[in-house]
Amino acid sequence: MADSTAFSSSGEDAIARAVALDASEARSTTNLSPSEFAEYYEIPQTAEVIRSSGFKRTALQFPDELLHDSVPIYRRLKREIDEGQELYVLADTSYGSCCADEVAAQHVDADAMIHYGHACMSKTYRLPVIYVFGKKQIDIDDCVSKLVASLRSSDFLSDSTPHKNVVFRHDVAYSHQADAIADTLRDVLCADNVTVSYSPIPRRLDPSPSPPHTDTAQSNTETNGSSVVAHTINSPAESDSPILYVGPSSLHLTNLIMTHSSTPIHSYDPTTRETQLESTRTNKLLMRRYGVVQKARDADVFGILVGTLGVASYLPLITHLRQTLKRAHKKSYTISVGKLNPAKLANFMEIECFVLVACPENSLIEAKDFFRPIVTPFELQVALQSEPQWTGRYVLDFDQLLAEGEAGAEDDAVSKGAADGEEDLDRPMFSLVTGKYRHARRYGDGSEVTKSDVTSGSSAVIIRNQDGTVATLKDSAAGEFLQSRTFRGLETRVGLDEPSYLEQGRSGIAKGYGDDHGRE
Amino acid sequence: MVNFTVDQIRQLMDKPTNIRNMSVIAHVDHGKSTLTDSLVSKAGIIASSKTGEVRFTDTRDDEKERGITIKSTAISMYFAVDKDEIPSIKQKTEGNEFLINLIDSPGHVDFSSEVTAALRVTDGALVVVDCVEGVCVQTETVLRQALTERIKPVVIINKVDRALLELQVTKEDLYQSFSRTIESVNVVIATYHDEVLGDVQVYPDQGTVAFGSGLHGWGFTLRQFAARYAKKFGVDKEKMMAKLWGDNYFNPATKKWSTKGADAEGKPLDRAFNKFVLDPIFMVFDAVMNFKKDKIGPMLEKLDVKLAQDERELEGKALLKVVMRKFLPAGDSLLEMIVINLPSPATAQRYRVETLYEGPMDDESAIGIRDCDPKGPLVCYISKMVPTSDKGRFYAFGRVFSGTVRSGPKIRIQGPNYVPGKKEDLFVKSVQRTVLMMGRYVEPIEDCPAGNIVGLVGIDQFLLKTGTLTTSETAHNMKVMKFSVSPVVQVAVEVKNAADLPKLVEGLKRLSKSDPCVQAWINDTGEHIVAGAGELHLEICLKDLQEDHAGVPLKISDPVVGYRETVKAESSIVALSKSQNKHNRLYAKAMPIDDELSLAIENGKVSARDDFKVRARVLADEYGWDVTDARKIWCFGPDTTGPNLLVDVTKGVQYLNEIKDSCVAAFQWATKEGVCAEETMRGVRINILDVTLHTDAIHRGGGQIIPTCRRVTYAACLLAEPGLQEPVYLVEIQCPENAIGGIYSCLNKRRGQVFSEEQRVGTPMFTVKAYLPVSESFGFNGELRASTGGQAFPQAVFDHWELMNGTPIEKGSKLEELVRSIRIRKGLKPDIPALDTYYDKL
Repeated sequence: MADSTAFSSSGEDAIARAVALDASEARSTTNLSPSEFAEYYEIPQTAEVIRSSGFKRTALQFPDELLHDSVPIYRRLKREIDEGQELYVLADTSYGSCCADEVAAQHVDADAMIHYGHACMSKTYRLPVIYVFGKKQIDIDDCVSKLVASLRSSDFLSDSTPHKNVVFRHDVAYSHQADAIADTLRDVLCADNVTVSYSPIPRRLDPSPSPPHTDTAQSNTETNGSSVVAHTINSPAESDSPILYVGPSSLHLTNLIMTHSSTPIHSYDPTTRETQLESTRTNKLLMRRYGVVQKARDADVFGILVGTLGVASYLPLITHLRQTLKRAHKKSYTISVGKLNPAKLANFMEIECFVLVACPENSLIEAKDFFRPIVTPFELQVALQSEPQWTGRYVLDFDQLLAEGEAGAEDDAVSKGAADGEEDLDRPMFSLVTGKYRHARRYGDGSEVTKSDVTSGSSAVIIRNQDGTVATLKDSAAGEFLQSRTFRGLETRVGLDEPSYLEQGRSGIAKGYGDDHGRE
Repeated sequence: MVNFTVDQIRQLMDKPTNIRNMSVIAHVDHGKSTLTDSLVSKAGIIASSKTGEVRFTDTRDDEKERGITIKSTAISMYFAVDKDEIPSIKQKTEGNEFLINLIDSPGHVDFSSEVTAALRVTDGALVVVDCVEGVCVQTETVLRQALTERIKPVVIINKVDRALLELQVTKEDLYQSFSRTIESVNVVIATYHDEVLGDVQVYPDQGTVAFGSGLHGWGFTLRQFAARYAKKFGVDKEKMMAKLWGDNYFNPATKKWSTKGADAEGKPLDRAFNKFVLDPIFMVFDAVMNFKKDKIGPMLEKLDVKLAQDERELEGKALLKVVMRKFLPAGDSLLEMIVINLPSPATAQRYRVETLYEGPMDDESAIGIRDCDPKGPLVCYISKMVPTSDKGRFYAFGRVFSGTVRSGPKIRIQGPNYVPGKKEDLFVKSVQRTVLMMGRYVEPIEDCPAGNIVGLVGIDQFLLKTGTLTTSETAHNMKVMKFSVSPVVQVAVEVKNAADLPKLVEGLKRLSKSDPCVQAWINDTGEHIVAGAGELHLEICLKDLQEDHAGVPLKISDPVVGYRETVKAESSIVALSKSQNKHNRLYAKAMPIDDELSLAIENGKVSARDDFKVRARVLADEYGWDVTDARKIWCFGPDTTGPNLLVDVTKGVQYLNEIKDSCVAAFQWATKEGVCAEETMRGVRINILDVTLHTDAIHRGGGQIIPTCRRVTYAACLLAEPGLQEPVYLVEIQCPENAIGGIYSCLNKRRGQVFSEEQRVGTPMFTVKAYLPVSESFGFNGELRASTGGQAFPQAVFDHWELMNGTPIEKGSKLEELVRSIRIRKGLKPDIPALDTYYDKL
């Protein structure tokens, strides 16, 4: 198509575009026999669930790397379910493929979803979701012996506390063997008087009982069975036990490390068959996030990025973030851009920091390539505190965050009332990023009007158009930004430019103009 | 027993013609603080018998322990000059009472920033030079700084007692040594000649050079001796002074003056200086130190020195001290020299206003400064913050250049980033109290008129280090100070206990406030970094941080050095990067900027704020740029002021002005974190050669352009032989000859390069000057001491950035190894990104 003279391409590119895939994931099912295939994707079980629950329409969600199996799966499932029950294959999600894309499922008015592949197990609030993780091979004996060896090499077993406990966690792809591993671990470790706690990952998640619930205090304390278990350790006795993790190095593991910074984590990678003590990375990871939090402290204009439409209570969280930002006199914009990339975010140049509301696995963005820092809601809360607290605790769970946020807000209100007398509002703050004082701009400040003329500088007035009309726009971050730009839109310079000869322009399309290969 | 009252001082503050603001500057250990004592004792603030022991201006415990000054300290004094000397004052004065605001400054190079802060608020400088060691590197540095600030120097040659007692030199040798020292001071002064300031070289025969001993509390200028002899010879005092220096000889036989060293019969004559000035001093030393008791009595009578009963019992050095102090009191002669020769604020501000004020010379503030008008609009420059006894609070220390500062009325506090007409970095607050700084004490005063140095209470939380205070809404800032040192040595600090983190952050803030030069920030890996000028500076800062400002135990990493990324050649091919949507393309090339231009940008000689036409002219005339290119500089970077340039050399590209903002933003980003090791870039010019943009504005927005422009900058750098620059110290080492071998071996081990080795005439001391990479300097002092038996004293000051050999993109090279280690430390992938990460093919 390169030599086409059309102004736009035919769209064939988009269809023919190769998607970069994790090769090992994609290849794992290609040489399976039909029965193995059914086994790998748990087809009979899935069909059974659909049949017994009597779902009318079921949406099948595949990540890109499993899309090639969607048709065979669809065919086999179709064969086994009742007449009148329909199946739909969904295209990939606009956000992370680990979350169930309820919105897409609602397009077909589905009443259940089946999610294939790796999942983050975030709670949903509209539809029941059945997870099919795929069954990865694992050598149980090797896994257990190596993990135990790793545990022994740390001094955990040698000290003499009477009741010791370890927590067993794993990547979802190994759920089918998890019980077996846990049992073997118990057998081996009971000699050392160590108990193993393990809560199985559920195969099916039903929407939480009170969709967009605001009663967050309750949700924090409820152990509500299945859904939370996969991500937080609830009982305090378990909270400082070492964690044994089975699975490759992944975002899931990183999150585990971040949220359990005080406990040692031993990981076993079934593909390489190696164990590693992961906790050494913890400090570095947390420090790095701390650096990002400091950048967030320096920002006055925030963009709330909607990175999920599936995770339960994302809406209350967004509302909460908006309120928090408003209370701190920061400007916020809410933006949804689908999958993040630097180009999309750099279009919002006046935004100084982004807050990403997404499922835990996609929340941590290493923003090296991004023009502005991206923080998680928890980090935002830390950043907005007047005292920079950083204890190493890290929260990714929305409900917990909401509960804490509200408690924090009350505290804030109390302390603010007390400190208001002496605290000067436009006192500059010390920015750790630059090592200098920073004068925060305050948005949504009612008292602005009463301030003396001296403080209201020229930036209160912005130019409206090229004719030189001006407008005062209070609190407009965008207006201020526009003012600081050198280019503010097209100007008609009638009669100012010399007439010039018409020249032959470039022809072709952006991917390859006609004269592309002639130049160096 | 203080022989003046605050009221007296307050009254004098209203007479700008009778104020002298001066700083005491010198090389380390040349005796500034000790000498200051003798001045302070003259004012009765400390007992004169304690002179030379107390070091009144060393207020901190560690200053006393280490015997070095760390912070500059101000003190105000009252001095009444002898009425006979009034005619010698060549500027307008009222009466014979004077207010002297003196600032004692540190001599160690690591604390040069304190000197800079002191110089800004003073008009004159007392340069102290050790008569044995002569002019040293720091003498030169501070003198240079003083002259660029248009500060008039006078000199005292100190420690003359050492020359007499330890070296036992002859009179003629001493004279020669004096005149050599004065000459080398004048050489430095002449190099920085400034038309406006006129001839500020120092001449003993004009009374601008004093000789003395701070430790013993005596000192003199030729004026004192001239006064003694003027009556005797019946000549004018000024004429007598001229005779007492240089090649002037007195023939006692004929009672005639001559300029030849021998009389008609060829008999050698005594130089007048030796005969009339040194002779009496040598006699006193000889008589007292050799216990010639019988001679002492008549001699004292002749010299008009009366001893108290108990003082007569003294012997040896103690007696010598008392006699000399009564004979030639240092306080009187020095204060007299200061009052007569240094300018008053009224005089000085007239010529200093151009170098001090950023705004136009005809606005009300400039006129107020020029006239030192207490009724003009307030203009006050805060040059540093002084900690108060109240933890975490500071006095804002500075000088009122115009108007009067008092508590109550609202004033505008303009930080260094304030731009007239904008409200960034501007606060409108009122001062709570004004105080007079008296060394370790403060005295409250009601208000402070123009021309004085003052401490302000209650505005410290609005200023980090420096700022301009004013009441005029149109006032621009006072020029920011340029420090001769840069914070090139960094350490990472960490709290031992996570709960102490808020205290550390607060501590870092206080530390940044309390020191003009130290910097504290957090890097991408989340480490708290403290950067200082040298090891000693950092050591003091970290001690303060740990014990005072933060008050919590800290973990401190090994020091590291910041490098600069640069390029060594023009990009071999044109770098091309496409935007994410492939609709926009940027073509660019990188090339090195001359080191002189980089320096000029760093020193503010060429800056982003200049008018682009003027700047283009300067670039064309002085740095060989093409004028059209020079006019099309889009921006400086990083921080819009750094020594990297983004230049638009495109021809007739449509929509180009639309993407300028995006490119500027991208350039700041890219130059802050270079491509090789994410260190700051330096001396890189990026030429945008051509740009292809999509016709629809939506497809060429910031989102498409910013990442692309950053990538094309990186690609261009990778194609242009990327290199690294490392900071290099200039080390000056003084040592006896036998220690030189040790110095060389020590320097060689650390990639040091000796470029000068000189023997100081008349002494066995050698001065070795060398360049030493900062990265190799850690522990250098200790090693040097060990290998020279403690005989060598190094002074290291950041001198320049040196391009390192090789390029990091060459696999297996030393530089690649270095870059990898930096990248690993920063938690990046160890390999430098490959070219195709940033370079797109057509």
